Amino acid sequence: MKIFAFANQKGGVGKTTTAVTLADGLARMKVKTLLVDLDPQGHLALSFGLEKSPGLYRLICLDETLEKVVTHIAPNLDLVSGDKQTEKVKRQITLSDFRETILADILQDAPYDAVLLDLAPSLDVLHVNGLIAADWVVIPTRPDALAVDGVKEILTTMAEINQSGHRYRGYSILPTFFDRTTRETFLQFQDLAKTFGEHLWPPIPQDTRVRETVAYGKTLWDYSPNSVAMNGYKNGKQRLGGYKQVLARMLEVING
Amino acid sequence: MAEKKFERRTTLDPAVADLLSGMQQRQAESQLPRKERERMSRERAKIQSRRDQRATYDLPPTLREEIMALSEELRIPASQLVTLALGRFLNDYHSGIIDLGKYKQPSRSPRYDWNLIFPDELIRIKKKKG
Repeated sequence: MKIFAFANQKGGVGKTTTAVTLADGLARMKVKTLLVDLDPQGHLALSFGLEKSPGLYRLICLDETLEKVVTHIAPNLDLVSGDKQTEKVKRQITLSDFRETILADILQDAPYDAVLLDLAPSLDVLHVNGLIAADWVVIPTRPDALAVDGVKEILTTMAEINQSGHRYRGYSILPTFFDRTTRETFLQFQDLAKTFGEHLWPPIPQDTRVRETVAYGKTLWDYSPNSVAMNGYKNGKQRLGGYKQVLARMLEVING
Repeated sequence: MAEKKFERRTTLDPAVADLLSGMQQRQAESQLPRKERERMSRERAKIQSRRDQRATYDLPPTLREEIMALSEELRIPASQLVTLALGRFLNDYHSGIIDLGKYKQPSRSPRYDWNLIFPDELIRIKKKKG
């Protein structure tokens, strides 16, 4: 089992959409996948057209089993949903012993091939729990200065966690809302490539279909499987970027 | 003696490298005078429009050389000579004039059942008549 955390302290960079799209993609590739909503906004459930519910609260505060709290979304895809009660989870964790590893302990023997954690854009105890539980951290970022600063913040937190003994298998930077025609995108992308090298994954092109899909409570795989956000940019017979290419990178990580 | 400058190589995901190089090219183009930009844009459109017409096949080198020589001699593009040859072949094949049976040999490839084995005289360069 591999645990991926989708994290960036900057909000609105596409963490939830990315986690939803990749989780659904993995499930369609017959990878048994669990999505966990660590954000009190509870947007993962909404992305699948479901109501928010206190799945994480029941799991951590009421000590219910993982099997009991998951919502079955599709073949090979389960969800631990979240809602405003997730705030109470943070308070409970703060008061617990071994508070940083509570989530890691719960997920340790979860019967899944991949677990995707959607982290909130804040540096709190639940965020740290998510980072500590993760084998691999995916950091979605808009190609703009503020979001890229969020990348540095996450990497600093990861370095601190590393110092306390946790070893990540790796991390990836995922540019989102990518518009290859603007000079600012080019400059930021160039900087990211120079700074992070092989850690930089192919970007997700800016695409209105992504915003529409949430309104319909569908994932991109159902709503617009051939959109540019899914397939990437056409470059001759090649495709560059897009969720399908990123999914292939994730499968490489899962298969070691 | 000038000091050598060494630059650390950055390993990139292949898709990132391709995208970055395309964007770099476009950025460089955007600095050019308008006329030059328009010329490059026309060239790119021309290349893109011809993409569907492109095909890659393995041919005996002798045949390829002969097509190139004929193209030079007649001052006709090699692509058009090959188009004519393929068109004639398909017409003859569908009319039953050409029988592939005499060239067929069983193939050991998992993908194909047959190979065509050509007699030397079919693919050998014919000497030009005096």
